[in-house]
Amino acid sequence: MSTPATTIFSPALAARFDKLVTLYPVRRSALVPMLLYSQDEVGYISDAVVEEIAVRIGITPLDVRNVLSYYSMLRTKPVGKYNVQVCTNISCMLKDGYGILDHCKQRLGIGHKEVTPDGLFSLEEVECIGACCWAPAVQINYDFYDDLTPEKMDKVLEDYRAGRGKETL
Amino acid sequence: MADVTFTVDGKKLTAPAGTLLIDACRKAGIEIPAFCYYPGLSLQAACRMCVVRLEKVPKLQTACTTPVAEGMVVTTESDEIKQSRKAILELLLGNHPLDCPVCDAGGECELQDMTFKYGAAESKYVEIKQHREEQQWSPVVFFDRPRCILCYRCVRVCGEGMDVWALGVQNRGVSSVISPNGEDHLDCEECGMCIDICPVGALTSGTYRYKTRPWEMNHVATVCTHCGDGCKTTLGVRSVDDGSEIIRGDNRDKSGMNGDFLCIKGRYAFDFTTREDRITKPLVRQPNGQLAEVSWEQALEHAGMKLREIRDTRGGSAIGVIGSTRTTNEEAYLLQKFARTVLNTNNIDHHRTADYASFAAALQGKAGRTASLRDFLTAPAILLLGNDATEQHPALAWNIRSNVRQNRARLYVANHADIKLHRQAKSFLQIPQDGYAALVQYLAGNEAGFDGTEISAAFREALRKEESLVIAFGSEFRGRDIQSLVDFGLGLPNVKFAALGDYANSRGAADMGLMPDLLPGYVPLAAAKHFGEEYPSLPSAPGLDMLQMFDAAEAGNLGALYVVGSNPVERYGIDPTALKNTFLIVQDMFMTETAAVADVIFPAANLYEKSGTVTNTYGDLQLAKKAADKAGVRTDFELIVRLADKMGADPKKLVPFGRGVRADMGQTRGAQSGEADRHAVWLAANNLEPKLSPFDPFAVFDEIQRLVPSYNVSRFELLGGQDKQTRSDLVQIELDPARRDLVLPANDTLFTSGTLGRYSRMLHSVMESRTTKPAETAAD
Amino acid sequence: MTRGWCKEYTAASYTVVMSIVRNIAGITKGMSITFREMLQPTEVENYPDGPGPTRGAVLQERFRGAHELQRDENGLEKCVACFLCAAACPSNCIYIEAAENTAEQRISSAERYAKVYNIDYNRCIFCGYCVEACPTDAITHGHGFELASLNATNLVMRKEDMLVANVGMPGQLAAHSDSLK
Repeated sequence: MSTPATTIFSPALAARFDKLVTLYPVRRSALVPMLLYSQDEVGYISDAVVEEIAVRIGITPLDVRNVLSYYSMLRTKPVGKYNVQVCTNISCMLKDGYGILDHCKQRLGIGHKEVTPDGLFSLEEVECIGACCWAPAVQINYDFYDDLTPEKMDKVLEDYRAGRGKETL
Repeated sequence: MADVTFTVDGKKLTAPAGTLLIDACRKAGIEIPAFCYYPGLSLQAACRMCVVRLEKVPKLQTACTTPVAEGMVVTTESDEIKQSRKAILELLLGNHPLDCPVCDAGGECELQDMTFKYGAAESKYVEIKQHREEQQWSPVVFFDRPRCILCYRCVRVCGEGMDVWALGVQNRGVSSVISPNGEDHLDCEECGMCIDICPVGALTSGTYRYKTRPWEMNHVATVCTHCGDGCKTTLGVRSVDDGSEIIRGDNRDKSGMNGDFLCIKGRYAFDFTTREDRITKPLVRQPNGQLAEVSWEQALEHAGMKLREIRDTRGGSAIGVIGSTRTTNEEAYLLQKFARTVLNTNNIDHHRTADYASFAAALQGKAGRTASLRDFLTAPAILLLGNDATEQHPALAWNIRSNVRQNRARLYVANHADIKLHRQAKSFLQIPQDGYAALVQYLAGNEAGFDGTEISAAFREALRKEESLVIAFGSEFRGRDIQSLVDFGLGLPNVKFAALGDYANSRGAADMGLMPDLLPGYVPLAAAKHFGEEYPSLPSAPGLDMLQMFDAAEAGNLGALYVVGSNPVERYGIDPTALKNTFLIVQDMFMTETAAVADVIFPAANLYEKSGTVTNTYGDLQLAKKAADKAGVRTDFELIVRLADKMGADPKKLVPFGRGVRADMGQTRGAQSGEADRHAVWLAANNLEPKLSPFDPFAVFDEIQRLVPSYNVSRFELLGGQDKQTRSDLVQIELDPARRDLVLPANDTLFTSGTLGRYSRMLHSVMESRTTKPAETAAD
Repeated sequence: MTRGWCKEYTAASYTVVMSIVRNIAGITKGMSITFREMLQPTEVENYPDGPGPTRGAVLQERFRGAHELQRDENGLEKCVACFLCAAACPSNCIYIEAAENTAEQRISSAERYAKVYNIDYNRCIFCGYCVEACPTDAITHGHGFELASLNATNLVMRKEDMLVANVGMPGQLAAHSDSLK
């Protein structure tokens, strides 16, 4: 239940966390946002992240892991620079979301939850991302690409590969 | 809270508002099944077994989360409810292996019982069950994942009950799994509560697993022999070639002051009883300096003759006696009576771990001022001064935690270390190690000598506002400090005290007069009027205390030393060569440092192998029953009597057996003569003996109750297995202000108990795993 | 009788005639077996001088003789020391000590095995409850019946006395031993 002397986070994020834990009646309420923000910064929830969050909130690392393992959007392994998340829920499925997924798999040469050897892309099949009106949709990091066809998908991937994609990570 | 009236299965019931329906029903004898609900723990409502029909509520409701309300109409058994529970069981059994014949829980498994009751043996599921390999989380905890029904009892008891939080639930839904804090192992207090509380066989105990089945054991309720808390424990014993062996310890029936709690020592560390290096034959040192096995007769003859010779030639003052903190009250009493009437000496002492004499002196004549261990479960406020209860008094810590959690008791802690109970404390005060006396002065209003801060002022202020307080203090308090603490406490309304000492019967040893200057009941030698009849030749001068005895031995003035169940050479760091001119008799289980230099060694039984009474450090008197048995050893009681007999003393004077009570052994019954008397059979079955024998502890207990008024508690309840608080107000003593308290705290931790724990393989393996495991993870 | 013996004489005489005919038929049926057997060759169970491992004794399959402890198809003991036979035994003649299998030494296929398994034939009443209770079909009744002894202490059979021989190769059924002990 304290601020650790050394932090693995950036000063801005550390300061944000310092404030976050004071916002709720119970400190542990800050756990999920803290996990999400650290994932954005670090890329994944490493053991060091778990340890530091546990110290900051004043709970055991096991408690952090209990919550961490509950949410499938929190990951404990590094992903590629661009995490391609293909939706295959009902609307996207009807509009050939699986086709997009298969196309990505073939084009990137990786499967579900895998990373390309150069570390640039990772692929993930996800549940609804809330873009049903423009299905099929894909989320790369925090950016949406919708109304996709395999050709459009190729273009998107090509842009990212050439460094023209949006850099959010 | 106000009572409400409601109807369950057509019966009108009344319970305080806010009571959970499941509790109210159980109290009225209506059983509602539940896996996840456990009294005293937080509510989970995970298992859905306790569903009941509430009138006007559309769906079945969980009785474990429904508080009773006025006019509520409840049905607990109907076809609909049966159907629902059966469906739940079917789901639980979906991946539960049907290995009941091998499972440790078979026969006492709640899932098994429910399946029998609701008949969910046939399943609609055809999928293959998923098998996962069993995991070993620590030397004592094994986890069999497929057997787990995810009731989360273990998670809650570890976190809420023990405040360890070593177990968690990972993943979600069908892939949820109980997981330990150290990835693949547990890093915890190893109390085994999770195993105890598991309704199925998912968590199994390293000491008990695959050894037997519950119905094949004899279950004996007795008192734990490790620390001074006096936990009730039910030992599961089975016969082996050389007696009977303890294979399990638990307290599932929640008898005793500890409820269902036992610490690692109580639950696992009984294996010292079956160690192969235990002494099982009397040993006598031969002229060549070697110890040799001899017959009992020879050994007793030899020891008795020598003692008699030394007493008659050099006088009783040349003989010393050191008693034990692990023997029963009867044995402690008998030992000092033997010393004072047969050996004619007051040179008697024991390893003192708390200054009970000063405590008794401070509280004399004040009724109802001693706290039972039970009081810590109900007291609205508790002050803990010194002592790390989590390590040294685990049951006290458990009761305090339960009290804080369930009744919101206010805990005040003052300690020189940042002890774990800090987390439960309303107010915590860290003081210097030698600052306890000054703290008491400060609390009493005398600020000199104490660096008061805002925190300490608030601490004092809050304490003074308490209307009912229990004060527990550790061995940091001795002599005059105890007096001033009691004086301070008595200034507050409604205060009770507890002195915390180590070992199973340290309090009993002090109460029973294993001290050079005090007779049983802390009666000073000078005031021994009513002891006259039983103690005809009582020497009037105080004897030598423990350290003086060894000084005398070194100076060659101690002809003989009789050590019962104690290891002073190791504990007090005595140079063994100091005893080379002393005839040393040792009664013990193992070849201790003291036994190694003895002239005669008698193999003795431990507390699990004898009957009698013990007093815990709070003064709660309990009955210990014989559970285990080991061929070749004898109780200290028997050994003392036999030794007295060999010295030519009249055993009947020592043990007033055959007096008052008669038992018919069948001699008087004509045609049936020779047949054992039914009463005698009953006594034997209950590990009691008819009082026809000089080895009957109850004959001595008669005398204790006669001579020590504070022990004159209801015998009836004691025999029923209840704890009875001894009455310190009946003690009358006046202590010499210059008296040495000689308190040497044991400073045991959860995993060590110097005298017995060192012989427990299980404790050793737990400690080894703790020293190696963190290193492994650090290397990861 | 009360129904037949009433007013009408004809009805009464009919009853008498019919009963005589029935008796004759019954005697004929019974004696026919006797006479038929008289013409068959004589069969004597020449125990104990007969042929075969039972020395001439012929035992029905259901006969409950001395117990046998079976092995599974891998030659491991079937008994997992669940103590259910001991619990079911009305004469309390089964004594078991359980122990845990280790990776180095595997005795039974489950975690636990019977380190000691004794049946006291002084007490056993051959009721078969143990066989019925056994969840793994480990204990069965064999056909051994020559159990008499001049010394009662010989009647406590140990596991080694009752265990069937491990003759099968792994994967092969252990041969059912019907021989007398």
